[in-house]
Amino acid sequence: MMMERLLSALTEKRVLFPVSFVVRLALVVYGDYQDRNMVVKYTDIDYHVFTDAARFITEGQSPYNRSTYRYTPLLAWLLTPNIYLTVVFGKLLFIVCDVLSGLLIYKLLCLRGVGCQTARYVSSLWLLNPLPMGVSSRGNAESILSALVLGTLLCMEVRRLAWAAALYGLSVHMKIYPVTYALPIALSLRSSHTETNGTTQSWTWRTPVAFVGSFLNSKLILFASVAGGVFFTLTALFYYMYGWVFLHETYFYHLTRRDIRHNFSPYFYMLYLTADSRWSQSLGLAAFLPQLILLLVSSWTFHPDLAFTCFLHTAVFVSFNKVCTSQYFLWYLSLLPLVIPHLTLSVKQGLGLLLLWFAGQAVWLAPAYFLEFEGYNTFFLIWLAGLFFLVINSFILVQIIAHYRSRKSLERQKAE
Amino acid sequence: MLFLTKYISVGMWNMHMKGNGDQEPCFFLKGLQPSLYVELSHKGFHREVVTTVELGSETPADVRALLVYRWPRDVYVDPYQVASLSHQRGWQMLFNTAIDLEEPAHRTSEFSTYVFPSHAGPTPNPLKVTIPIHGRYHKPSFDGKTFTPVHIELPELLLWTKKCTPFQRLEPHTVLDAPCTASNTSICSWVKIQNPNKNSVPMSLHLPVGDGSTVRLISTGTLVVTLICCVVLCHSMLKHQLR
Repeated sequence: MMMERLLSALTEKRVLFPVSFVVRLALVVYGDYQDRNMVVKYTDIDYHVFTDAARFITEGQSPYNRSTYRYTPLLAWLLTPNIYLTVVFGKLLFIVCDVLSGLLIYKLLCLRGVGCQTARYVSSLWLLNPLPMGVSSRGNAESILSALVLGTLLCMEVRRLAWAAALYGLSVHMKIYPVTYALPIALSLRSSHTETNGTTQSWTWRTPVAFVGSFLNSKLILFASVAGGVFFTLTALFYYMYGWVFLHETYFYHLTRRDIRHNFSPYFYMLYLTADSRWSQSLGLAAFLPQLILLLVSSWTFHPDLAFTCFLHTAVFVSFNKVCTSQYFLWYLSLLPLVIPHLTLSVKQGLGLLLLWFAGQAVWLAPAYFLEFEGYNTFFLIWLAGLFFLVINSFILVQIIAHYRSRKSLERQKAE
Repeated sequence: MLFLTKYISVGMWNMHMKGNGDQEPCFFLKGLQPSLYVELSHKGFHREVVTTVELGSETPADVRALLVYRWPRDVYVDPYQVASLSHQRGWQMLFNTAIDLEEPAHRTSEFSTYVFPSHAGPTPNPLKVTIPIHGRYHKPSFDGKTFTPVHIELPELLLWTKKCTPFQRLEPHTVLDAPCTASNTSICSWVKIQNPNKNSVPMSLHLPVGDGSTVRLISTGTLVVTLICCVVLCHSMLKHQLR
């Protein structure tokens, strides 16, 4: 009873958002203290990379003079107050975006037919979650992306297509992975008359023509124009300012990245062993195929529910990617609260899946620690743990897919 | 004729130096026996090279020291990490080339670093410098070896004092040109101390490498498991698709 009252009080709108911001702010302050006084630093290395790149900009130079800066110049420009005002400006920006992401999750849940109290409880899974708290207060910029992606989904939900397209173009400029959402967005903006006829009509030569024709409508053309306009304008501007190195570090490096150092990807050891062999290119392509197939199938099967499709897309993209670090998990974890209210899993089953996910990471982290910090040759164990983690992720996704009830199917069930 | 002119010029320069008594400040360097001891700490890919230098009690206070490290391509020093550490530890490091933090060993090359123990004030005596180093990934081995050896040369110790311009012979030590400070704006003549090392064996470490002979098993296993997961997920998506 006490717990319920406490939970209810904590998730009151006027309490939840300020409390989540204050806790993150306290972590930023603590992080500053730890950096000054302890050997192990709180702030992530990436934050120093962003700050160094911002410093180069204030000196009139290219942010790419900072080795390992592989992001858009826009981020370094945004963080120039790190040099002019205070070095924690970036962290403050990231925690604001983090809390904003929580607010966008709440709004989206209300719009998707979830009751506002449930929406607050579910948003608190993000707002009071130590993982995003830690990530943004340590100086990772992932919260900017999650706010942009959630903003895109919210604008799509309320049919403000121009805004959705602008936010989408900006998010693709900042990180490549949202480009995969283009297909489900395009499918969801298709002319609707073909959807109702498509399954009953027999296949004639008109069917593929009608299919392609369904993409040529004003909504999709507007979306593509605005998103493309924003993306290409920013690309052209920064190409003019920084040249080829901008394109390489921001986009091509990530597209062709083959990090042979140990990471969560199931392909890590295979790519390490074949890095200099003649099979390298073919194996890279073979590794790309499952990702591509799953993105196409998930777009086709779930595009009416854009939030769920984007969650599946991102989870599949990350799990089957050639490089996978723990930062990438946030890309789909920020979309998970949108999916949770529609799952018919019990709390026990949900917690079981969560524990399984953590167990998969722990099984990988153990041999990885012994390799990196103790010098044991645990490559084979890391390989097995990477495959095991993929199997666990696939199992969890299958459970989520099997227990997902979209709003339409719930309404249909009620009507029946 | 040109050679003779040079010989006479050098000789006259030496006589001039003797006449001014400038050899006196350099004299101490001849008899100096600083000692240098290096040890490697930690395990795995992230190590520390701890160098301890004892200059000797007779060393004048204004003598400056410089440690020159020649690193193999199997390891790297992170310039950004070192820059953040130099504020706490009081020494500064100059690199002779840009460092790539991510490339495997066979795609990089050796590099050198110059460590200046103190940017202000006298050189501490004894002097202790701790440098964090990181191992690079190596090519997988195909001969069953699970580790690759990495040998690190012991550093060179160079000394300099304002009062001594070492053009005289200072056997057994030699004269070497090197940057005066970490800002690398000028070159000074330093005296390289011969055989200061107390280490009886050179530094070495072993880094794990992948087993290239298992490449078929690894590739087949990876592709089979990823394909099975892909098929299972596709089946689940098609079975539960939204209509």
